[in-house]
Amino acid sequence: MAGGGQVEKRVRYKSSVKDPGTPGFLRLTEAMLLFVPNDPKSDSKLKVQTLNIKSQKYTKEGSNKPPWLNLTNKQGKSHIFEFENYSDMHACRDFITKALAKCEEVPKKSAVSTSTEQLSIAELELRFKVLRENSELQRLHKQFVESKVLTEDEFWATRKKLLGQVSTGKSKQQVGLKSMMVSGIKPSTDGRTNRVTFNLTSEIIFQIFAEKPAVRQAFINYVPSKMTEKDFWTKYFRAEYLYSTKNTAVAAAEAAEDEELAVFLKPDEILARETRQKIRRVDPTLDMEADQGDDYSHLMDHGIQRDGTKDVVESQNDQFRRSLLQDLNRHSAVVLEGRSIDVESEDTRVVAEALTRAKQVSKADGETTKDANQDRLERMSRTAEMEDLQAPQNFPLAPLSIKDPRDYFESQQGNVLNEPRGAGALNRNVHEAYGLLKESILEIRTKGLSYPLIKSEVSFEVFSSLTQTISTAKNIIGKNPRESFLDRLPKSTKDEVLHHWTSIQELLRHFWSSYPITTTYLHTKVGKLKDAMSNTYSQLDAMKQSVQSDLRHQVSLLVRPMQQALDAAFQHYETDLQRRTAKSVGGSSSERPNGGV
Amino acid sequence: MPQVKIIAKNFMDMVASLTAIKLDKLYNNVFICEAILRSLPPLAKKYVLQLLYTDVPVPATMLEEWVLADGVSKHRAAIDRMIQLRIFMETTDRKKGTSYSLNPTFQKNLQKHIISGGVLPREPMNSNNAIKLPSLQELETYALQQWECFLLQLINSGQGEKLTGISSSMMKIFQRGLLSQRDRDGPRLTESGFQFLLMDTNAQLWYIIREYISNAEERDVDPAELISFLLELSFHVTGEAYNLNTLTEVQRNTLKDLADLGLVKLQQGRKDSWFIPTKLATNLSVSLADSSIRKEGYVMMETNFRMYAYSTSKLQCEILRLFARIEYQLPNLIACAITKESLYNAFDNGITSDQIITFLQQNSHPRCADRVPSIPENVTDQIRLWESDLKRIEMTQAHFYDEFPSKDVFEAACDFAREWRGLLWEDSKRMRLVVKSEVHNKMREFLHTQSK
Amino acid sequence: MASVASKLYSDDVSLLVLLLDTNPFFWSTTSIKFSQFLSHVLAFLNAVLGLNQLNQVVVIATGYSSCDYIYDSSLTPNGNFESSGSGMPALFGSLLEKLEDFAAKDEELSKEEEHEDRIASSLLSGSLSMALCYIQRVFRSGHLHPQPRILCLQGSPDGPEQYVAVMNSIFSAQRLMVPIDSCYIGTQNSAFLQQASYITGGVHHTPKQLDGLFQYLTTIFATDLHSRGFVQLPKPVGVDFRASCFCHKKTIDMGYICSVCLSIFCEHHKKCSTCGSVFGQSKLDDVSSVSNKKRKAPDT
Repeated sequence: MAGGGQVEKRVRYKSSVKDPGTPGFLRLTEAMLLFVPNDPKSDSKLKVQTLNIKSQKYTKEGSNKPPWLNLTNKQGKSHIFEFENYSDMHACRDFITKALAKCEEVPKKSAVSTSTEQLSIAELELRFKVLRENSELQRLHKQFVESKVLTEDEFWATRKKLLGQVSTGKSKQQVGLKSMMVSGIKPSTDGRTNRVTFNLTSEIIFQIFAEKPAVRQAFINYVPSKMTEKDFWTKYFRAEYLYSTKNTAVAAAEAAEDEELAVFLKPDEILARETRQKIRRVDPTLDMEADQGDDYSHLMDHGIQRDGTKDVVESQNDQFRRSLLQDLNRHSAVVLEGRSIDVESEDTRVVAEALTRAKQVSKADGETTKDANQDRLERMSRTAEMEDLQAPQNFPLAPLSIKDPRDYFESQQGNVLNEPRGAGALNRNVHEAYGLLKESILEIRTKGLSYPLIKSEVSFEVFSSLTQTISTAKNIIGKNPRESFLDRLPKSTKDEVLHHWTSIQELLRHFWSSYPITTTYLHTKVGKLKDAMSNTYSQLDAMKQSVQSDLRHQVSLLVRPMQQALDAAFQHYETDLQRRTAKSVGGSSSERPNGGV
Repeated sequence: MPQVKIIAKNFMDMVASLTAIKLDKLYNNVFICEAILRSLPPLAKKYVLQLLYTDVPVPATMLEEWVLADGVSKHRAAIDRMIQLRIFMETTDRKKGTSYSLNPTFQKNLQKHIISGGVLPREPMNSNNAIKLPSLQELETYALQQWECFLLQLINSGQGEKLTGISSSMMKIFQRGLLSQRDRDGPRLTESGFQFLLMDTNAQLWYIIREYISNAEERDVDPAELISFLLELSFHVTGEAYNLNTLTEVQRNTLKDLADLGLVKLQQGRKDSWFIPTKLATNLSVSLADSSIRKEGYVMMETNFRMYAYSTSKLQCEILRLFARIEYQLPNLIACAITKESLYNAFDNGITSDQIITFLQQNSHPRCADRVPSIPENVTDQIRLWESDLKRIEMTQAHFYDEFPSKDVFEAACDFAREWRGLLWEDSKRMRLVVKSEVHNKMREFLHTQSK
Repeated sequence: MASVASKLYSDDVSLLVLLLDTNPFFWSTTSIKFSQFLSHVLAFLNAVLGLNQLNQVVVIATGYSSCDYIYDSSLTPNGNFESSGSGMPALFGSLLEKLEDFAAKDEELSKEEEHEDRIASSLLSGSLSMALCYIQRVFRSGHLHPQPRILCLQGSPDGPEQYVAVMNSIFSAQRLMVPIDSCYIGTQNSAFLQQASYITGGVHHTPKQLDGLFQYLTTIFATDLHSRGFVQLPKPVGVDFRASCFCHKKTIDMGYICSVCLSIFCEHHKKCSTCGSVFGQSKLDDVSSVSNKKRKAPDT
């Protein structure tokens, strides 16, 4: 239903509250809002630009009113839509909110070039998505951002992670290359004439360039100075065709006549150079057997000579012979490498040049690492080393230098301040104290345990008082210790408590992170936060008063830690304020230490 | 169900079954109070300590207040046991409900015991006395030897090298329930007999002692007196010698039997005779939890169902033979294998797979016992599987009902039976059902009311 | 831990390590006499031993300047119930004898020390460590062993200078899964014991009526670990989590922490006195500390 760009819902449109309403469809797009009545004759057709919407109101779920959405436009006229159910209404409301935000974003861009970072539409959408998915967050957002306690950016700054998670999921995957081989492009013959037609697309061109550096080079060299692009490709495919017919003799003959054509038939020099370089860089510890049949085979003394087919080889035309295996390997190498450049150009030359550049860069990379050889040797020695024979590798280690363990484990008696001590400590007489102790021990040794050990009444009293504590504890925690007291509160109170808790957390987080106050911006922010917090504080008090008397005690237990946390913040605010005023009175601002911000 | 339920724990049941007067008399002895306290379930022990110095009855609700939801059944069991043993006196008041107080004699004695310790009626022999006392090690070997010898004789394997001095009539009593006497093929071990052999020494000992006590009246001995003596004995110090002449005639006779069981060692001095309690005796009052004392194990079980037992004992060899095939015996090693046949044999004799497995677990060699699980899982699984092979049919006494007058009555009857967990089978089409016998009476009443 | 668990007895057999506060400076100020207190404790110990033949009790005396084992029931097997002539179980005789020796030794040490300004706390950290060592030995002895728990019977105030040592002991106990029960009979609150019990899952209780101490001990602290699964024991309403700073051994609720070694300080230092790490300038101090400014004023 709620596809990205458009929402459509069955509604009744009312021009005023008393209007019985016209049934019809409400269609929402990002730019405008359209009402189409069921009855085509009705004149209550409506079209409102989203830009013109000033505000929206809606009935709350659970109130006995039907789901109404009231949109007011800039001229002050209001449109009321009655929905079939609340979910429809919420869907539309969210959509409008989103659309409105987008519309607002546009003028903002032109009007105010604030220092805050400009947000991309995508980012904004992301935020709305997050808000939509998390109703609690939405509530917080509404409470603080819309009431201007926090700015939009401040609100989101603490939730970068939340946004990051969603956005990473959106990163686009690069499209790879098709695994079909160029040689697989079969020419189509019409059968009647001797004409052979090759169909060429930019995709194929890219692949040819990537796989055959020599062709690429040739293209850059010849086109358009020597020949047209069409001629070039005709020549190329002629060579290919000759090759595919395995008619090496003809190929050799034609190559002799046409030096451009010869380029296509000769083994690819550039490729060979690259490969040689690669061989030089091969890890010597590599298991070469595993590479049998790799694309080194067209170089002398590497890999297997033959691909197993029983081609009759004319030795003089050896240079025009390429094995299928070679092609295959080269192709797969290119596919695996992927689209190394991101060119979406139709211009063949641009593609060719870009590819060449990319290759050169990677080649340069390989050569500039001067110590590549060194690195190789090290790698060799590392893999070849016998672990048992090696000296233990000493990783750099910074030991925790505890100068004297006694500092840590024992008291630093010398440092002990002369704090006021308990009264007993002041005039204590060691001898007397020990004397008393020993006397007691002696007494019990001679007289035995005191009898009666414990009076029956005392015993019962203690037991019943302990039982008392157990049962009261049970009442607080609930019969089942796992069931929290919260669950016994009425749902509205519970929700309220939880909401206060999250909003206090949010406020406190911003509050404490603003310290130390170094800019006036932070100063005003803290002020705003403090006001919001004292607001919440009084709300908490009100809530405490409003709950039923039997729950009041428990609720106040729950609320107390919240209020304590707020109190601590207030206190900090006050002391900080005093200190700052004292400071500004005491000295000039120039005395701020350098780099102190 | 075997008629003799071999559970060692019900020694205290026996104490509980004594008449009130005898029980109260029993509590006059400090040591018996102590022994009874030790035999109680943990929660009951706690309750005793809690109320030790309270004179007034404590409302039951106060005790229940402390119990967590998980512990309600344990709490019930503890209270029941204490009432059974007459430790708790239950008084019911219309206003306050049920309340408990400790048995005053028991309470007094425990109080005294905690403060001043108990005084044994006899002092151990002075160390400067002439006779040489056996070392603890020797004493333990002696006790085990004596006990094994007795067991061998008990199961009549004819391999007991030296016969114990227990009279054959007494032996017969012990064998009652463990061996079935048939004239033709001689005595055979019964189910309980097999189970008995697989129990650990402590449990076996309790069983024998129990038989010994229940038989006491036939020998003109007061069971209460015997119990009190046995419990008192358990508080003597292992390895110390006590003079025999501090005992009554009955006690002295009893002691002779106990010496045959390995509970005490008798020693003849120049003038006097002494008895030296062994570990078996002092362990008598140990709380009867199964694993309280455990000997070092000797069995190693391999995943291929072979079992090696480091043992020189003939008794242990006999025990293994109950469920395993002995393959060969070396001077200190018995090699055997668990096979389907050997296990079927055991199952036929009424030994359950759980008993075998617990036995193997309890007696596994220390090296194996360190591993988890100590017995390879495939072996335990296989033992259980073989047992369940034999138990495909379960028999339940039941009653069959049909010809219900109407569907409604039938369905009501079904629901009723289900409520009492007695419904075994129903066929709603033909209106027939089968109900467990236990529920039959209730069912009949129910159907009567229905028909009216 | 699995190997430890498998070596436990299956039921309620317990090893109780009792830390007995024998600080003379505490006992000279209390309403209850030490002998009276000792009566309750000894009766309690005897009761615990009576519950199960395999129960084991170890008593460690926590003095003012030393601590020592004063009783171990495993050393006198089975003999606990016999009177040693004087109408008192052997347990009490040997325990009291050792206790007397201990008090004498402790007195000698205290005289040597003579730190007039030390709080009259007892050496809790020492006795806790001893208890843990004992339990560790039991764990390693290889045989079946009872379930250990520690009970601190403490009356003296906390010694903030022992903070680190006590906390280390508590965390070791937590690792060993040994609960530390604590019964605090002093007038103040003991943050150490509250934390110890809270962290290790033991019970902390402050008896209100000291003449009924035995009842408290048997009702709460005699409960073996097995039964604790079925019985509700009193829980404290809150726990005092405050720490002591390393520099002045003050109990603080807000302070500075070395980011390298986690040492706690009550005021900002240039260098960590424990590990020597050099701290950066505290922003808070720079901006807002008046004293800092004052010190700086002459330079400019």
